[in-house]
Amino acid sequence: MRTVFFASLRASSRRYVAAAIAVIVSVAFVVVIGVLISGARAGLMQSDGAPYRGADYVIDAPEGRPSPGPSCCPGTLNTSAAIELIERLGENASGLGRVALPAHDEGGAPLGSGDMRGETTVGPIATATEMRWQKLVSGRFPARMGEAVMHVWDAKAQDIAIGDRIRVGERATATDLEIVGFVESPTTWTQASMYVSWPQYLQWRDHATFHIGSVAVRGDVGRLPEGMAVHPAAEYVTESLARLNNGTDAFALMLLLFASVALFVSVLVVANTFSILFAQRLRDFALLRCVGATRRQVMGSVRREAAAVGLLASLAGTLVGVGLGYGLIPLINALAPRTPMGPPTMPTLWLLGGLAVGLMVTMAASWLPTRRVVRVSPLAALRPETTVDVHQTAGRVQLALSAFLLVTGPVQLGMAMIQGSTVLMVSGGAAMFAGVLLLGPAFVPALVRALGAPLGRYGRMAAENAARNPRRTAATMAALLVGVTLATAMLTGMATWRMAMDKHRDTRIPIDASLTLLNKPVTADLLDDVRRTPGVERAIAVDGTLARITGWDAPIPVLTTREAAQVARDGGAFAHQIEPGTIRLDHDAFRSPHKELNIKPGDRVTVRVGDRQVRLRAILLGGWGKAAMVAPETFAQLTDTSQPHVIWVRAAPGANWLELVDDLDGLADASGAVFEDRLQARAVGNRQLDILTWSALGLLGISVVIALIGIANTLGLSVLERAREHALLRALGLTRRQLRRMLAFEALLLSIMATLLGTAIGVGFAWVGYETFVKRALGEATMQVPWPALGVVFLIAALTGLLASILPARRAARVTPAGGLSLD
Amino acid sequence: MISRMTPGPPALPRSAMSAATQNAIHTTTAASARNLTKTFGRGEAEVHALRGIDLDLPRGRFTAIMGPSGSGKSTLMHCLAGLDQGSGGAVTVAGTDLGSLDDDALTIFRREHIGFVFQSFNLLPMLTASQNILLPLELAGRGIDDAARERARSLAEALGVSDRLAHLPAELSGGQQQRVAIARALLTQPDLLFADEPAGNLDSATAVEVLDHLRRAVRELGQTVVMVTHDQDAAKYADDVISMQDGRIV
Repeated sequence: MRTVFFASLRASSRRYVAAAIAVIVSVAFVVVIGVLISGARAGLMQSDGAPYRGADYVIDAPEGRPSPGPSCCPGTLNTSAAIELIERLGENASGLGRVALPAHDEGGAPLGSGDMRGETTVGPIATATEMRWQKLVSGRFPARMGEAVMHVWDAKAQDIAIGDRIRVGERATATDLEIVGFVESPTTWTQASMYVSWPQYLQWRDHATFHIGSVAVRGDVGRLPEGMAVHPAAEYVTESLARLNNGTDAFALMLLLFASVALFVSVLVVANTFSILFAQRLRDFALLRCVGATRRQVMGSVRREAAAVGLLASLAGTLVGVGLGYGLIPLINALAPRTPMGPPTMPTLWLLGGLAVGLMVTMAASWLPTRRVVRVSPLAALRPETTVDVHQTAGRVQLALSAFLLVTGPVQLGMAMIQGSTVLMVSGGAAMFAGVLLLGPAFVPALVRALGAPLGRYGRMAAENAARNPRRTAATMAALLVGVTLATAMLTGMATWRMAMDKHRDTRIPIDASLTLLNKPVTADLLDDVRRTPGVERAIAVDGTLARITGWDAPIPVLTTREAAQVARDGGAFAHQIEPGTIRLDHDAFRSPHKELNIKPGDRVTVRVGDRQVRLRAILLGGWGKAAMVAPETFAQLTDTSQPHVIWVRAAPGANWLELVDDLDGLADASGAVFEDRLQARAVGNRQLDILTWSALGLLGISVVIALIGIANTLGLSVLERAREHALLRALGLTRRQLRRMLAFEALLLSIMATLLGTAIGVGFAWVGYETFVKRALGEATMQVPWPALGVVFLIAALTGLLASILPARRAARVTPAGGLSLD
Repeated sequence: MISRMTPGPPALPRSAMSAATQNAIHTTTAASARNLTKTFGRGEAEVHALRGIDLDLPRGRFTAIMGPSGSGKSTLMHCLAGLDQGSGGAVTVAGTDLGSLDDDALTIFRREHIGFVFQSFNLLPMLTASQNILLPLELAGRGIDDAARERARSLAEALGVSDRLAHLPAELSGGQQQRVAIARALLTQPDLLFADEPAGNLDSATAVEVLDHLRRAVRELGQTVVMVTHDQDAAKYADDVISMQDGRIV
């Protein structure tokens, strides 16, 4: 049987190409995901795990208990106990923490600019060289008191050179520090602007923000103080990463979803390839049976053939995947330097998994066609021609199963929407989709006929042709259906989610940038200057008055306006919908290392203007700068006069926001105004959303490519399968052109139907996803259907069908009638 | 057995095994059918392809089964060859009652006791001529030793296709394909060699060659050959002729 096996494999190799490509792409997909996840993990270990690299144990505050640390910083250690522990362990301990302090340069001017002007953060450096996690870029580490290293980015931003002196702290704790080196921090977990020796760090131990979050320990911990938990270092890093990177896992899950769709389409492609290939070789098998091959022998040979195709394709897929994965990592590092990926360890499990999955897909897909092969009677070899049974319709079992799936699927989806369960959503969606695919042969003919009827002679002929073998037609359609459904669901889901995210952010950050003048009113000139600044879409001056408010020791502007809609991203709701008797404060704007707004939401505060005062309930929101908002009625209680104190700016989309911020900052400096902007946050947010959107679209592209392979493959094979029919049609007087047109119509009909169906199902799935989690996560989200994008999908899919039919149709038309009829 | 000493193709090779096999079965009947019936379809569509056939095929002879289309000759051959089971009656080949065999046993029986030459589509398209000849041994899982190779080669030589052994069937003419099929059928020295219109697709000169080869197999090797044909000229090569009509021997 070995000779037969090898000869068959060789003879059919060209027809296996499509099936092999489908398997290769799927396996490569899985393997690339594995490599990327491994790289991401390595990258995170290198960066965020750095502070614990030299350690055996990590000590932190146990979870689920009241935080023992200072009130500023939840989840940190009790400061004095931690200090005691670190002193006891000496060189074998490295405390990790931070303190925010005022900072001035040698001339006494506040250090830095913007929000953090006059402030810096200081962290400790481990005593033992091996436990220092900061990366020295130039200079040296501090050797004694009075020395510090500075984060290289901060140094650059603040024009600090090695040898410069900085005064850190105020009054009693003020210290002059000499910068002796620049460092880079591989992680943002415990990052500070400046790092000093441990004894130096302790100098600020009574400061409000001084904290020790965790302690990395080399060797034995000894007696563990009360209120601390000890973890093996490696475990600690992995667990913290898992907590921190829920996003990464969700992303991996999404990747896997795509991969499983790719695998599913591969199963279809492979199953189609095998069933058609085997149908063509039916007489070979029958002859083998005549000459004395048992059923078992024929089945064994065919199974081995499938296994060989699967194995070769899976191996190729693994190689392609590894190559692609390792190639992508430097590319990702180059494109997105903020998310560094490390050199991945070979993800053996993923590789083996991908290989196994590819093999299993091929074997599973060839199972049914193989079973049909062995049922062939030896007599089939003796018949002058084997006619393939064209009246294949859905069997009873198939119909029952699809009915079951079509009932349980929506039930699960409904429950998913009620309970917000992702698992139910995925299983329900899969069940329903499988039900539709299984039902395909039952409803496809009617649908094709209905679609083809208005298309004239060719339409009707093509429809009849397609309706004649419902199973084959349904199979051809399935690949495209999967692709279109996925594309539609993804595009709709992304549009909905994106819209919701934008809205969410617009509510949180309604004003792009603000200039606040405390001592004098805003002049018309300044407003004009701001309006003339390139990149400003609109700017308005907002009237208000200076007030003093309990919980903040400096005067702040209290504003009221009815015109916020002109510039606000949220339509002005934050300024317009204020109830009398309340005051809205931008919480973030009042947070600084020096002090913090000492008000909790719902607190009663006293607001004073001159000799009038009002008690108001505080509502803490954010996003418009260092000013308070009140209702006009409340404002009237405070004062009778108002002056413009603030300019609100709305940035033009697509403008260079960096330059805009620079220009406005310049204007503010010149006029003595305080400038604040949220454009950076907006830009970063945009970039993250863009990265997600584009990577999802990229993955979608891969899935669609597999779908294309699928439909081209099935169409090609179905044309091959019908060569004799076409020859008969040609003999009866169908011209070449007519035959080509008929096949093109058939392909077009199929792809249009698949697209319509896929769009409907996809939008439905997107709606379920929206109800299940988007609406829960982002309350104000509304469902968005991106019709133009769906139109593009429709066009692409229809064209794809047409394109996929070109080659097979040409091949079919080339055969002479006589040649086709005598085909064996 | 009369061997005409004419110059021509080399003699067909006989092997010791052939004689041994023949000696082991002390009977003059290679195959027999008793009250064999075969019915296709049901009710109105019922077709009686065979209506009680009694038949003994003598060993070492060339028998032709003749009859027009639909006379049941092909069905009879299928039943005798173990390709199909009758609806009633019994078929015995080489002492074995075919009705008692399940599909696997029947397949193995075919492999060991029966050879086939069909009208067309005799060869597996992806195997070379020599691979096709050796296929029965390959299927039996027997090692293909030098003796087998030698036998295949000498059969090919005797049938005049020894220079085409490395070619695929598509590269052979119709007559060459039939001769390769005969070589394959003779390789295992079957008890019965069935030929179904072996010359039906060939031009008359080639048809004569193929039929001549079959007759030589009977004369030189003592091979039992049963040929189904509707061609009077072809039937002339046979020792005995059985005529059929409407499912009966006439």
